[in-house]
Amino acid sequence: MTDTRPQTHPGDDELVLHFYGELPADERARIDAHLGACAACQAAWAEIRDTLRAADAVDVPEPPDGFERIVWARVSAALPPRRPLVTWRALVPLSAVAALVVAVVAGPRLWPTDRAAGGRAAVAPSAADIRDARERALFAALGGHFEQTELLLVELMNTPEPMDDGFEFARLAASDLVASGRLYRATAEETGHRVLAAMLEDLEPVLVEVARGPEHVDRETVRSLRARIDDEDLLFKVRAVSTDPRDR
Amino acid sequence: MHLDDAAAVARAKGGDEDAFRVLVERHSRNIYRLAYRMTGRPEDAQDVVQDTFVRAYRQLARFEARSNFATWLYRIGFNCAIDHLRARPHRETGEAHDVLDRRPQPNDGLSPDDLVFAGEIGDRLRNALGDLSAQERAAFLMRHYHGCTIEEISGALNLKTNAAKHAVFRAVRKMRVALRAMHAVADGAPKLKWEA
Repeated sequence: MTDTRPQTHPGDDELVLHFYGELPADERARIDAHLGACAACQAAWAEIRDTLRAADAVDVPEPPDGFERIVWARVSAALPPRRPLVTWRALVPLSAVAALVVAVVAGPRLWPTDRAAGGRAAVAPSAADIRDARERALFAALGGHFEQTELLLVELMNTPEPMDDGFEFARLAASDLVASGRLYRATAEETGHRVLAAMLEDLEPVLVEVARGPEHVDRETVRSLRARIDDEDLLFKVRAVSTDPRDR
Repeated sequence: MHLDDAAAVARAKGGDEDAFRVLVERHSRNIYRLAYRMTGRPEDAQDVVQDTFVRAYRQLARFEARSNFATWLYRIGFNCAIDHLRARPHRETGEAHDVLDRRPQPNDGLSPDDLVFAGEIGDRLRNALGDLSAQERAAFLMRHYHGCTIEEISGALNLKTNAAKHAVFRAVRKMRVALRAMHAVADGAPKLKWEA
């Protein structure tokens, strides 16, 4: 007995695409013609169509009036704070500051003596006083260090390409941040602030890459650098830690 | 401020928060719907909406002007929703159920038998949606409720075109199997409203 059914039946997956209008016009026409003549395919089509229409009954309650304003209030509160219009081009040399901080942190011998009472013997600070002073000096210095690292990363991410002369400034700033970062890292490790030390360690490779970069960078280099900053989420991390290094 | 997406993105990239606000206000409802369907809870959906826009802001420099902002945002939204579900695995199975529980009830002009039947369909769909993987659910929701093409889904979910297509197919297949028994019953029962 000859099979009189039309050939080339559409598969179920094709029927799903047909339902969603994802097939080219000639395919759609072919399937429509086929469905008009093939009872088996018609049954499959009806089942798929009814299933997907049943899913339409799943609706979402509309959010309340003013929802957009509520969302913006929540989002804007969570955005990183806007910075004053200072760029890394105006950064002061950081390595000198770092050296000073390290001298204070590592040199309790420099602790001031109390000679106010007519030349009496110096009052030796307690161990707790020394520890507090070292932490204060480290945290104060790191706040500025992370903030300036953030400014550099923001500039790198947003300066239009090609960066040309801009990259020379970035190299200088990065070089300074690498030098000061290493000093802070050593101090952070010495004083037991391992998370801060790890954060500084995470930042160093990309800063080194910038510092050692060519005088004039091509687009590919800039993009690769940006992708790295993005992939490692460095901007987010540095923003989080610069809010208050003590929290880390 | 009246800006299209491309202009608003360009300004927001330059630090203009008002331009970013335009984008937030324009797309927040759509992201909420997506997040609600993924998480099934209004409070979770609101968290996902917030996370989505904060993440989008942080990644704005990476957005390429030739891309579609809404699709890019969907991608971030789905990823945020998936992260949210992963962070709360004990709640995941219940979430799709909530979505269906809160759907408008088709009670206008239906007989008690129809209502029972529609309720059973809801139960089966509820289970089927709950059984989908996060990827299948995301792909199906994007295709079915947000009108995204397969190409857009593959871009948004970072899948190859075939993988995106098959995620949708698997989702439909599971839902179809779930409802098949109902169709068999329906052959001898009053037709569903959509079959009229």
